[in-house]
Amino acid sequence: MFPKVGKARNVTRIIAKLDIKSQYVVKPIHFEGLRKIGSPAQLSRGYYEQGADEVFYIDIVASLYERGYDLAQIQTCAKELLVPFAVGGGVRSVDDFSRLFHAGADKVVINTHALQECPDVITRAARVFGSQAVVVNVEAKRWDGWWECYSDCGRIRSGRNVLEWVKEAVERGAGEVLLQSVDHDGRRRGFDVELIGNVIGSVSVPVVAASGAGTLAHIKELLACCTPSGVAIASLLHYGVSTVGEIKSELQECA
Amino acid sequence: MKIGVVDYGRAGNIYNIVNALEAAGADAGTISNADDFAQYDQLVIPGVGAFPDALEEIETRGLRGALLANIARKPTLGICLGMQILCKVGFEFVECDGLGVVDGEVRPIQCKGPVPRMGFGSIEVVRPSRLLAGVTPTDEFYFMHSYEVVNYTDVTGLTSYAEHRYVCAFETGHIFGVQFHPERSREAGIGVLKNFLHAGE
Repeated sequence: MFPKVGKARNVTRIIAKLDIKSQYVVKPIHFEGLRKIGSPAQLSRGYYEQGADEVFYIDIVASLYERGYDLAQIQTCAKELLVPFAVGGGVRSVDDFSRLFHAGADKVVINTHALQECPDVITRAARVFGSQAVVVNVEAKRWDGWWECYSDCGRIRSGRNVLEWVKEAVERGAGEVLLQSVDHDGRRRGFDVELIGNVIGSVSVPVVAASGAGTLAHIKELLACCTPSGVAIASLLHYGVSTVGEIKSELQECA
Repeated sequence: MKIGVVDYGRAGNIYNIVNALEAAGADAGTISNADDFAQYDQLVIPGVGAFPDALEEIETRGLRGALLANIARKPTLGICLGMQILCKVGFEFVECDGLGVVDGEVRPIQCKGPVPRMGFGSIEVVRPSRLLAGVTPTDEFYFMHSYEVVNYTDVTGLTSYAEHRYVCAFETGHIFGVQFHPERSREAGIGVLKNFLHAGE
């Protein structure tokens, strides 16, 4: 039908990741030792203006305390953005997904309930909202020769092998993987490149690599080894080491 | 001109579409039952859902008849799944009849990259289009989908992803469809929504 084939673009998304506790963006180290960074709405706006391709908003204590969401706060953040907004933390049901979409989410992120209790919620959510709207959040902990899935912000073990779980989640209909590392998160010493490469090789859906960027060089190292669809950045942005714009222009130069 | 965003139940990022329409200067609200249509001059059918479930919700909420009657005479913009359900048939999970407003089919995206396609990309305007007026080759729009529209001829825009070039916009009379999300595509997306508002003038 269309004879000319256009040149495919291959641009890694730069995603700002906001870890939320109550009314604050916080930054955990190894998912512990929280430090307050600022207001979710202000940071959403700031990272949007810097050029973020997306914003991920993860309530890191919602599952643990079985807390409801602050829908007003989610709406306030969504309103600051004209790029996609993914929201998660404590999601348990199709109704939770629905509430979040109606409060400004374009995608919903799920981990604990699907991993520890009810993987079928992924299947049901994909049937209603489509796979593209269902993001599975993986918190991986490295052991000798394998990675284990954790939940509740790296606190609770599952016994599940990360590579097996991501395959199951995708078969059930998850359309994207947010891949965090319990070992590397917040340490700013680089990504778990081996983990990320293995997960990308295991699934057909886009993988967003997170946990470990402390310098621009860490991102370049990662992208030299594998091709995540996106990179989620927290510390590097929160501590003002780099802006999204600086990250993007640096990556453009090496492309 | 008042723009009504069709709320077909559990799915749909309606909040963000209403905000973006307001940023484009529109007076926007939501349509959740058949009586609401009367208040609005133009319609937006949102995305973020799955094809069979959206059709079922439209049916069970008693929206189908009024929706089709209003699409027939009011400028209508389908976004992502909202564009896809305007087609005659879809194949998401199961084969399922669409609204049949345009003569397209909705099939799994065939490409060499990860699916769903997730991220910003440019579009090629291949035919004069009111909706895509002013769009340049460097403008980028957000794509977030696993299915694409095929077998349709009133195509105005194409996009490329992972060695695959396919339909991302159509326009037939006062009916418009876009595969990308103008409400999540920065200023370029607001420009497209402004064009849609002008289509009703």
